[in-house]
Amino acid sequence: MKMNKKYGILFAVLVVSVLLVFAASVGQSKEPGVEEIKIGIVAPLTGGASTTGTDMWQSAVLAAEQINAKGGVDVGGVYVPITLVKGDTETSRESGVKAVTKLITEDKVDLLIGGFSSGITYADQVVAAEHKVPFIITGASSPIVTRRTDIDTSYFFHHCPTTDDYPEATLLFVNEVVKPEIYERFNFSEDRPLRLGVLYQDSKYGEGVYEGIKKAIEKHNLNMEIVSAEKFKMSETDFRTVLTVIKESKPDVVYVAAFLNEQTLIVTQGRKDVGMNTIYLSVECNDDPDYYTGVGRWGEYSIQESRFSPYTIPSGPIHEAVEKFREDFKNRWGTSPSMMGASTYEGVYIAAEAIKNAGTLDKEKVRASLAELEMPQIVEVMQNGVINFSSDYRESKFALYMEQLIWNESVGETRPKIVWPDSIKETDFVLPDWYEPGSSPAATATATKATEECKTLWYFDEESLKCQQKEFCGMYMYKGLRTFETEEECKAALDKYLREKGEEKETPAPEEPGFEAFLTIASLLAIAYMVQRRRK
Amino acid sequence: MEPGVLIQILVWGLYAGCIYILLAIGLNLIFGVMKVVNFAHGELLMLGAYATFWIYTLSGVNPYLIIALAMIILGIIGVFIERLCFRPIKGTGKLNEIFLSLGLIYLFQNLAALLWTTDSRSIHSPYSNVSVSVGSVRLPLDYIIIILFTIVFLIAFQLFMKRTTIGRAMRATSQNRDAAALMGINVERMDMLSFALGSALAAAAGSLWLISGQIVDPYMGSIPAIKAFAVVIIGGLGSIPGAIVAGLTLGIAENVVPLFMQSFAGLLGVSMSFTAWKDTIAFFILIIVLVIRPTGIFGEKGE
Repeated sequence: MKMNKKYGILFAVLVVSVLLVFAASVGQSKEPGVEEIKIGIVAPLTGGASTTGTDMWQSAVLAAEQINAKGGVDVGGVYVPITLVKGDTETSRESGVKAVTKLITEDKVDLLIGGFSSGITYADQVVAAEHKVPFIITGASSPIVTRRTDIDTSYFFHHCPTTDDYPEATLLFVNEVVKPEIYERFNFSEDRPLRLGVLYQDSKYGEGVYEGIKKAIEKHNLNMEIVSAEKFKMSETDFRTVLTVIKESKPDVVYVAAFLNEQTLIVTQGRKDVGMNTIYLSVECNDDPDYYTGVGRWGEYSIQESRFSPYTIPSGPIHEAVEKFREDFKNRWGTSPSMMGASTYEGVYIAAEAIKNAGTLDKEKVRASLAELEMPQIVEVMQNGVINFSSDYRESKFALYMEQLIWNESVGETRPKIVWPDSIKETDFVLPDWYEPGSSPAATATATKATEECKTLWYFDEESLKCQQKEFCGMYMYKGLRTFETEEECKAALDKYLREKGEEKETPAPEEPGFEAFLTIASLLAIAYMVQRRRK
Repeated sequence: MEPGVLIQILVWGLYAGCIYILLAIGLNLIFGVMKVVNFAHGELLMLGAYATFWIYTLSGVNPYLIIALAMIILGIIGVFIERLCFRPIKGTGKLNEIFLSLGLIYLFQNLAALLWTTDSRSIHSPYSNVSVSVGSVRLPLDYIIIILFTIVFLIAFQLFMKRTTIGRAMRATSQNRDAAALMGINVERMDMLSFALGSALAAAAGSLWLISGQIVDPYMGSIPAIKAFAVVIIGGLGSIPGAIVAGLTLGIAENVVPLFMQSFAGLLGVSMSFTAWKDTIAFFILIIVLVIRPTGIFGEKGE
């Protein structure tokens, strides 16, 4: 009897368990996405690239909030809100794989957006391919992410210019604008090929740019010669030796494929330490406020390829949209959006449009809808003004433009001005006086003479805030130095500078984080020390 | 290659060597006295650079004058690290010390990210526009100051270690801890002092690194630390002269050897860039030294 009771209890427990599991499985089998559209944002929210990652996340949040404020996305006649889920790659491949795996298997997202860094995306997209989840890649520049053959890439849509696109636009600009200026000033023969020095990061991104340079020269039959091609390890900080080697190859212009921290050091060390007074060509990821602050005056007259700038907006139909995006972003987050943020913002709108056209959250149908998508450009200028993905490698095509960094006295930093293409340019390209071309001894001698010319000027700097006169020879500049032809000009500028500085002091500037936290930590350490002593 | 170019590259190598020396000597000092391998030494360099950046931003004074203050701050932090972290686990096994210092790496990196964010920071030296002509070569004044600063510092350090009572006591502790304790030396105090001095040297290296135009971010310490470990092992664990010789060798070799390799490849008709091989060269030298002389150039058996 006792045994029967025991088995009865066991049987009851078993039945209840089975019922519970059944109920749970019924709950889970409910069509996901009926109540919400889950989008995973794959971005480096921590680690070395966390600034960019945070910007990508904030831009995506802004887009999702804007869409949700209008009721959400029309999915087969029902308006469904977007829910974003963070996928932190921690700026590493291993964590990228973990983040995408979690987004797909645990969070069960309907779609992925983001993917900063080609190397990280190359690793984590394997998981997305395996689970056949559509992925709008907005932050990886290597074309390989949609062209590799070892996985099924048909679910990947590349909404970011590739490393083939950057050099093509940049070298066409150099050929059309920079080369004629150099050749005219130094009386070079048209037959002489333009001498191009290349310094690139030893990564998929850097190698991609270098290959893109070679392809662009060949594709457009450009009269250019690569006189040096040197690479450096990612996160390198000492470029003096490699820049000295490039200088020795006597380039007319130097194309650098680097990330922001590296680019800042390359231009600064190249001009300040190595004395390579040339035109530096930079890839778009460096069109960032931190770059302008870091590079200071050494970046003056260098060239920046771009598609979304923090300080300038191309004229044309998207001008208002960009201004509104910036304003909305600033109101929401208190800062300005970056380029990667802009494409991620667009990525959310692209996803919404594709889901709306598909009328379902079925991944295969959303993929097909993305492949056939055709929608107006949003905040970045697209070729033909339309966002669509190419039928071969599912790449959207951006209309890239070139900026030149011009010194801005009022902010004490350089600011970009669009110099190409002609349809949207703000100003003409300037070949600076200190510029030194590559080979041709006669020309170099002329250039050296030009830079070593001395001139007596009035000046003031941040160290001595009074107008003084001094003889300046050759290239003489540093952050904070301002020079003038006359004493009056100098005094007027100094007055203005002091006024602005006074105003700056009155306005509470955003505080450098640190002081309070530092004191708190120091106090905690001291308390811990005292406690330990007492214990002894 | 033109002689002028070679001289210029040698100076870049000397500069790099100076940073490695300052970092490696601190590491060596801590190891010599405490027999502790501090893997978080690169993070002390990072904190030193941040200290200089922070004081410079707040005060605006000549950054070279701030180095001393940054060294004092890091010296104090070093005391806390020794008293709160390393002393309690001393003698409990090498594995504990290793994991503790690895933990400190993450702690300091995240602490710096919290205090100063992960944005890169830089400062501009007041002499960044000044160059000195040496023959046909123009060398930035900052690099000459850094090289001279390191020389002066090494002389002062040697004098401190050889001529002062504390220096002698530290050396005695380093040579034989038990005998030193029996002779009345407070070896625990020597541990604390060596950690403070090692941290201060890392701060000097970090400050000079920043002043030379480099940028600082919370994750910058790892690569210089790895190089400093290579210097310590090449020079011999616990050997100060070894660290000096190895630091200079490594700094110059990693700058010059890639160029020779490139020229050699050119002679063989192969066009190849070796400039990204800097770290490979550093560790290749390390392997060669370890194979030929496992104790390092100036190392002693048993270290």
